[in-house]
Amino acid sequence: MSRIAATAVLLTLLAAGTPALADEQLVLIVSADSKIAQLDSLEVRKLFLGLTVTQDGNRLRPVLNETDARVKEIFLQNVVSMSDITYDRSLLRLTLIQGQRQPTAYRDIALLLKAVAADPSAVSYAWSKDVARDPRLRILRVLWYD
Amino acid sequence: MPHPYLQTLLSCVALSLLWATPALAQHEHSSGEFEVFVAAEEFHGSGEAPRDEADPWVSADVVVGATEHQFRVFGELFATPDEIDLERFQMGFEFVPETVLWLGRFHEPASAWNTEHHHGQYLQTDITRPYIERWEDEQGIIPQHITGALFESRQSIGGEGAIQLSGGLGAAPALTNTEMESVSLIHSNTGRHGLSATGRLAYLPQYVGASSVGLLFGHDDLDASYGLALPALHSNHADLTIYGAYIDWSVESWRVVGADYYVDVALDRTTRNESFMSGYLQVERQLPRRFTVFGRWEDSARMQESRYVALFDHEDGNIEIAVRRQALGMRWDYARRQALTLELSHIVSLHQQSNEVRVQWSAAIP
Repeated sequence: MSRIAATAVLLTLLAAGTPALADEQLVLIVSADSKIAQLDSLEVRKLFLGLTVTQDGNRLRPVLNETDARVKEIFLQNVVSMSDITYDRSLLRLTLIQGQRQPTAYRDIALLLKAVAADPSAVSYAWSKDVARDPRLRILRVLWYD
Repeated sequence: MPHPYLQTLLSCVALSLLWATPALAQHEHSSGEFEVFVAAEEFHGSGEAPRDEADPWVSADVVVGATEHQFRVFGELFATPDEIDLERFQMGFEFVPETVLWLGRFHEPASAWNTEHHHGQYLQTDITRPYIERWEDEQGIIPQHITGALFESRQSIGGEGAIQLSGGLGAAPALTNTEMESVSLIHSNTGRHGLSATGRLAYLPQYVGASSVGLLFGHDDLDASYGLALPALHSNHADLTIYGAYIDWSVESWRVVGADYYVDVALDRTTRNESFMSGYLQVERQLPRRFTVFGRWEDSARMQESRYVALFDHEDGNIEIAVRRQALGMRWDYARRQALTLELSHIVSLHQQSNEVRVQWSAAIP
């Protein structure tokens, strides 16, 4: 009896833990109306470093998520593989060399999601818990998980 | 000093600390329609005349760009207390990603330093640029601005690498009196402008990286029939042919930037052409707490014997043409997009030697 109770407790804890694990996923997102099919790691890196990435002749537009420090840290480590200062300088460098616009950055998650949803060419990233049930958005793939 | 420039420099730093505070930096949304690169500098050189136009104590470089579908346009406006000029203005069409044909006024691809740093002082680790890379209005001896067409392309090769090709064709600067004057888009133009053809072929170990190594070429027909250039050179033209090689390579905390140029100068009515060489090597090392130390060594050959080079030397107490220079310095990125730099250098020019000390505050806004 006690073994059954212990198993039940363990299953309950595991079930309760699953959403928490799912929360720790950083996902690549686009608008639900977007025709963007998929982007590989190099294309994502090019896009967020300010280089031109197109799909079906449409130029994609990167949107930076600066809503919390951990998202920024994971983005820098896993997407562009640069330190904060090096990434900033590489964006500035591209602006100086080619006049390229720097990616738009948002510090409010609601505004970011609204902006991505409204622009079929926009590409951004967010915690999966923030976008999983949002019908305006589509998840392209998982960028990072814990 | 009285050093009003130093006082202004310190004021800039004090104001910048306010600007850098997190409270002021908070905003919901930012985008990059434009960037302004600003710098303020204090300078002292032993045995040199007071600061001249080549050493503005404060400068602002405004870069504005727009992209719509495959069309691009951007401009770079550079302002100092002595000049305001539209340094670059380019309209481009991007045929395929990273392959663009530009029309307008642009920086010569054969310049290793200026196509990387342009006028954005903040993105340059050191304060000074090598003498061979000086702008035309700073008594630079190699053309830096062309007005015409520029083709640029970056294509993947192998796994992660890329080949970058740049080629420009257009109007070269003219030799007027004792400096070059490139075609101006906002001021009147003097002299005649010959043809300039220039290019660069580079290998990038990473398509998205900043490291590259490559070859440089330029041919510029400089008209010298105007002003003092004709009697000084005894020639209506100076045809410059430039061959060069460069490296800009970063490995972890180290960065090496170097270039070497061979310049052939063909003059009318002379049986023997002139030629000279000039090069530099800069090594940078990032340290903890956002400090960077750097050292640069510049050297040249046969510049003292060149009538063409002598044309740019005014013997007015300023050092316009350096034959050799050793520079050492430290930069401190003390806040986001702001840096303080100290640079010490020893210069051997055509007629004198000098020791210089420079202090600079530089920033990028926003």
